[in-house]
Amino acid sequence: MSKRYDIAIIGSGPAGLSAAINAKIRNKDAIIFGNKELSYKLSKAPKINNYLGFFDITGSQLKKAFKNHIEAMDINITEEKVNAVYAMGDYFAIMVNEKSYESKAIVIATGMEHSKPIRGEEEFLGRGVGYCATCDAPLYKGKVVTVIGYNKEAEEDANFVSELASKVYYIPMYRDKYGLNKSIEVVEDKPMEILGENLVNKLVLKNKEINTDGVFVLKDSVSPEQLVPGLEMEEGHIKVDKNMKTSIEGCFAAGDCTGKPYQYIKSAGEGQVAALNAVSYLNSKK
Amino acid sequence: MIKEINDKDFKQEVVNSESTTVVDFWASWCGPCKMLSPVIDELAQELNGEAKFVKVNVDENPVASSEYRVASIPTVMVFKGGKVVETLVGFRPKQAIKTAIERHI
Ligand SMILES: Cc1cc2nc3c(=O)[nH]c(=O)nc-3n(C[C@H](O)[C@H](O)[C@H](O)COP(=O)(O)OP(=O)(O)OC[C@H]3O[C@@H](n4cnc5c(N)ncnc54)[C@H](O)[C@@H]3O)c2cc1C
Repeated sequence: MSKRYDIAIIGSGPAGLSAAINAKIRNKDAIIFGNKELSYKLSKAPKINNYLGFFDITGSQLKKAFKNHIEAMDINITEEKVNAVYAMGDYFAIMVNEKSYESKAIVIATGMEHSKPIRGEEEFLGRGVGYCATCDAPLYKGKVVTVIGYNKEAEEDANFVSELASKVYYIPMYRDKYGLNKSIEVVEDKPMEILGENLVNKLVLKNKEINTDGVFVLKDSVSPEQLVPGLEMEEGHIKVDKNMKTSIEGCFAAGDCTGKPYQYIKSAGEGQVAALNAVSYLNSKK
Repeated sequence: MIKEINDKDFKQEVVNSESTTVVDFWASWCGPCKMLSPVIDELAQELNGEAKFVKVNVDENPVASSEYRVASIPTVMVFKGGKVVETLVGFRPKQAIKTAIERHI
């Protein structure tokens, strides 16, 4: 059995980092998932004047300061992308491709995904719309499937589906050379709406319509409700109370993913509150 | 262990069942199904006597899965009086499934 961490923090922006340092100060065994860049939103900012204590600083300077801070506290970022978090009851199972981790509490600090869902996408989720082609492909044996791909990895999934489905359409949301099986029909057009009655039966594009039994939408990052199935949302953000508690016991959230305003210091503050309440939660379980 | 049922005994075990029946549609290739399985096992123990729990492998039982329009797995359906009263698509935390079942017992 794998090791069970006290707290798993998902995201390496200001919210996640602030959660990590506070968990460390409280002597909890934490794991933080993210990337070396910490946050692209941090390196991109030209000028920051609203982070108390750092006047007239660039995003990359602030990033450097954050990096020095976590290094001084011996906090390492696990450079892996979390695909799903399952609330198992008294622990969380954190899925990273073929691997998995376990933790007793969790802090979601994944920032905000700005690309909007397609009309009908949410309505038909689980009724023809899916986010994991390889998971649900066998259910579409002999049927027509459309894959809307936001990245190169989606091509592999489309190839896999094409071995089972009777017909696969591929709608690339990027420009590149496509490594697709010959049987797949590439449609370079903009998806507008997913239609159906009980189940999906049509995808409307800007210039044409496709009759299809299933639509897989394959993006880079997943929305919080896909990341943590069962998580309650409110107007596109994770629903939290003032202790940064979500609808799932032991699961906390902080930063842009909980709502506006989208700011560094608000994110850091929420990360702290989330970590401290995760610590209280762990102590209350003893 | 939860009883595995199939296309042949689906009607008798689920539709004609006297008690609230929870059906877990799964398949061996589905990762989230594997995660859900112990959660369902725990619920079956906790709700022992109040609801009946069964599993249907969608690969081996296409009739039941297409009749109930299972388009994504895992799917958990709650049946009462022969009708579907609750459909939960995808993995759900234990408490969420419990609450959904308890509404019907
Ligand atoms: C150009 C620009 C300028 C800005 N200027 C300012 C400013 O001057 N002042 C200000 O206060 N705010 C500013 N902001 C807003 C600020 O960037 C955000 O509010 C802040 O970064 C939010 O922090 P966060 O920790 O919630 O999320 P993020 O900074 O978005 O960090 C989340 C991190 O988690 C990672 N992640 C997400 N999902 C996963 C997963 N499943 N597994 C592993 N890792 C994952 C992401 O890759 C990312 O690195 C600016 C934003 C931009 C884009």
